[in-house]
Amino acid sequence: MNLLIKDIVTITAFCLCLPAMAQEHHDHGNHAEDDTHEHHGHDHQATDTDQAAHDGHHAAVGPVLTRTEDIESALADGGEPIVADVLGVVCDFCALAMNKIFSKREEVAAIYVDLDTKALNLVLAPGASMSDQTIADLAVQAGYRIADVRRGDAALGSAS
Amino acid sequence: MTALQAALLLTLGCMISIATLARPVSYTGGWTVIEESDRQSSALLVHYTPAHQWSVGPRIEVNRDDDFALYTVQPTWLAKRWFGADYQGNLYFHGGIGIASGINDNPHTDQVAVYGGIMADWETRSLFVGYRNRYVEAGHHASQFMQAFRAGFAPYEGDSGDLHTWLMVEIDHRPSDPDSVAATPLVRFFKGPLLVEAGYNLTANQPLFNFTYRF
Repeated sequence: MNLLIKDIVTITAFCLCLPAMAQEHHDHGNHAEDDTHEHHGHDHQATDTDQAAHDGHHAAVGPVLTRTEDIESALADGGEPIVADVLGVVCDFCALAMNKIFSKREEVAAIYVDLDTKALNLVLAPGASMSDQTIADLAVQAGYRIADVRRGDAALGSAS
Repeated sequence: MTALQAALLLTLGCMISIATLARPVSYTGGWTVIEESDRQSSALLVHYTPAHQWSVGPRIEVNRDDDFALYTVQPTWLAKRWFGADYQGNLYFHGGIGIASGINDNPHTDQVAVYGGIMADWETRSLFVGYRNRYVEAGHHASQFMQAFRAGFAPYEGDSGDLHTWLMVEIDHRPSDPDSVAATPLVRFFKGPLLVEAGYNLTANQPLFNFTYRF
């Protein structure tokens, strides 16, 4: 019984340490969860813009659209390309969740979650639109967070 | 419990095994089947995820060592998910409440059973560490604690839809068991909605076969 109590105390200590460990990671990382929230705010947006301008490639920051057969077909139909950087997408279950949630939307003509680029690739149906906030909300339903969204030429990597 | 029910449960128990830490909460509106087994018990959980932070579903567990079965409803709460461009960390709390029934001529009467514990994991596309524990209170059937730590790596990084392969080892600790600490090396295969694990418990000399399917 003493051993059991000792185990529980050890585990509780482990649990209590987890948030602190994670916070430490936040402090040193560029894309932790709290950063995601701030991406929707003005302060962080300005920081990103300044950095992009400094790098000299504002419109092409981040991965460009991954072109699968479905993506190409939807592009040919005239749909808007969107690339959204996703935080925490590390496995096929993550990709499956994003696919399930976004595929239900009639605005979405094609979707591909690229684990290599950690990006959600969308092409909307011709004439359809989807706001950044809607994309962020749908990603939350899937269990993930959006760090950045690029559209049109920026998504295709063809912006000047 | 009838002999037929016990036989069915034991057959189930032999066929399935534990898919530890295999994402116990899905996307909003998703269903998941998780078959679990370890050197002590085998279980089947079917859960639904009403919101991305929690899931709930019926769970059946057969404890082969102590000859009882748990029929419970299990909620699981994703208390925290840490995101990064290259990693994900999760902290879950899980619990269950239901009935414990004897099997295999176990003479004990049915008892109310409750359990609870935590699960935590951190992973990238090529590294994984996870921890889980659980305390079960099932009256005269059992009062048991267990904890397990798992670590693994992927020898290559597959993309969406590829076959993903992981090599892992799990160390579990069960204070009430004569072999309180045991090691299980295993291989995990992951493709689309299906996760399958196969391994061998070196201490208890028992094979391990797990799977999770997400709808």
